[in-house]
Amino acid sequence: MSLLRRLTAQVPTVVLARRNVARAKTRSVLAVLAIVIGVVAIGGIGVGGEAFKQDQLSAYESFGGTATVSPVFYQDQPELRTFDEQDIQEISQAADSATVIPVRRVRGLIRGPDGDTIVFATAQGIDDPSRFYETEAGEIPSNFERVAVVGSAFAESNDVSVGDQVRVGGEVDESFRVAGIIRQQGRGDPLGADRSVFVPNTVFDRDGYDEIVLQADVQVAGIEAVSESVRSQMNQRRDRVRVTTSASRQEQQEQQFEIINQFLLGISAISLLVAAVTIANTMLMSAIEREGEIGVLRAVGYSKFAVVRLLVAESTLLGVVGVGIGAPLALLIGAVANQLLIGNPLAFTVTGLSYIALGVVFGVLTALVGGLYPAWRAANKRPVEALG
Amino acid sequence: MTDGGTESGVEAPATGGFDQKAANTVDPEIPDDSILRGRNVIKEYETGDQIVRALKGIGFGIAPGDFVAVVGPSGSGKSTLLNLLGLLDIPTRGEVSLEGEDVAEFDDAERTRRRKEVIGFVFQSYYLIPTLTALENVEMPRMLDRTPEKTRERATELLERVGLGDRLDHYPDELSGGQKQRVAIARSLINDPKLLLADEPTGNLDRDTGDQILDLFDELREEEGVAVVTVTHDDYVAEAADRIVNLIDGELRESGGHAHHGDSGREHRNDATAEEAPAQTDGDGGETG
Repeated sequence: MSLLRRLTAQVPTVVLARRNVARAKTRSVLAVLAIVIGVVAIGGIGVGGEAFKQDQLSAYESFGGTATVSPVFYQDQPELRTFDEQDIQEISQAADSATVIPVRRVRGLIRGPDGDTIVFATAQGIDDPSRFYETEAGEIPSNFERVAVVGSAFAESNDVSVGDQVRVGGEVDESFRVAGIIRQQGRGDPLGADRSVFVPNTVFDRDGYDEIVLQADVQVAGIEAVSESVRSQMNQRRDRVRVTTSASRQEQQEQQFEIINQFLLGISAISLLVAAVTIANTMLMSAIEREGEIGVLRAVGYSKFAVVRLLVAESTLLGVVGVGIGAPLALLIGAVANQLLIGNPLAFTVTGLSYIALGVVFGVLTALVGGLYPAWRAANKRPVEALG
Repeated sequence: MTDGGTESGVEAPATGGFDQKAANTVDPEIPDDSILRGRNVIKEYETGDQIVRALKGIGFGIAPGDFVAVVGPSGSGKSTLLNLLGLLDIPTRGEVSLEGEDVAEFDDAERTRRRKEVIGFVFQSYYLIPTLTALENVEMPRMLDRTPEKTRERATELLERVGLGDRLDHYPDELSGGQKQRVAIARSLINDPKLLLADEPTGNLDRDTGDQILDLFDELREEEGVAVVTVTHDDYVAEAADRIVNLIDGELRESGGHAHHGDSGREHRNDATAEEAPAQTDGDGGETG
């Protein structure tokens, strides 16, 4: 007796199941396809979402040592809406080694070179943009006066290039020549440079500042320590400032991604639910078609459990095949997403891979569960009726 | 559909409607070596809100080596009887006992186990599994037993015996009707049953092929003492049996059989007294003594 035969004889149920599954080819292929779709949906969305998240969060890396300080607004003290010079001094003292960069924002219209109003952009006053940014076109003059630098997204969507005129309305109400376009920064930038126009602080006709950016000198003290120091100094009597580190903003962002990812996974889980229904339907049809055959199994001494086991083995087999096709596909999708978003096809994260594992586990489980009811029904069909 | 007959039958329990030996003896008891026997067996079915009594209180006994043909018009309860004999069903009332044990006492798992040990089935439409070869089909009842080598040996032996030693690896769709039925018979024998239940075993076969099947039955009875009960419309098959039992409207009437086949040297009785029996023990089935 051959080794193969001896091995397969140990798992007769699987052997029988495999042949039965191979019998109704089209039906089996469709059931497998349902599982493949489910696994690809869960695995692909999971691993692709991870790649997207990594890509988005990588934007925070270059701003890791920064925090923003904004004033806490009280209705009874409207003058505290902004930071004055004294505040800045206090904060500078508290921040110690960190650099303090005061920022002004203008609430007014921005018009592009062709005179169109630009809605999704902010004009900000800052002393020296080159502290944070490099340009992809033009330059940031070391003496930042009378000119503007703009973010890359701003430049692109409004067709602004170096040398163009941009008009900032409101309290500034002045036109500026665009001296440079800032390289893309992403969402990590506390100032949101991509959609901003930076103008010199000096063009503002007021003293107060809207926000302060702290940049820690990591050699001396981390941004967390700096933030804490500012908080405790400034908020002694009542809360005057709110300090948000880049890390905590990143965390918030991560949580948002998490929620979106869960939502998408929930939707893809529905596809597995549909797969379960498909499998159940497939197995029901199969069981009805083979009623006589199953009756014979019962007649020749197969227990109910043996019949259930056989049919569940068949449906599970469909799941295993589906997962066998779906998981590599999901990996492939992940690799493509990794390549496009991160630039390295193999940049899988543990979380990303665990989504694929989740797809695999649920793919098989789904098929198993989908097969239970038809199997139970077939096994409980009285052989008498089945053999009618 | 009266119960009267049933009740009256209690005193003359199961005088071996099927049982040739019982028929011979004065003692109305079924002999101890009965494989299967029934007393006052009633089977009712619910169809909608009507209750149909398919068997109206019959008695029977089947001893080793018996060959009984159950004949009767369709709807007479033949299938019901066969299901009861095959432990595929239990009577609504009355008792069917397997080697002295009431089958109603068995739970489903136990009935399944006993069925496997004692009874072999041959169906009119063979019911071979199309994805399995002839050899695997014969092995099928024992496939879950984890004794692959013994099973294969026995299955090969059985297929050789039914003359299909050269068709082991053929799939059912590569076999003729007669060959399929022989595979089915080989399958029914894989667990060395004491009783072979054959539902129209030659129904789909030509006369020559049918003869081969009947010869095979005789051989099995002779050599291994297997009892054969067949349900048939075919007079030819019925005449091959030791005894013919007429099932008419859920009641048994036994008439003598003819031994055209497999003359094993045993006496083939023709005491056709059963014709009178129903009148005496209405419901208890044909008495042959």
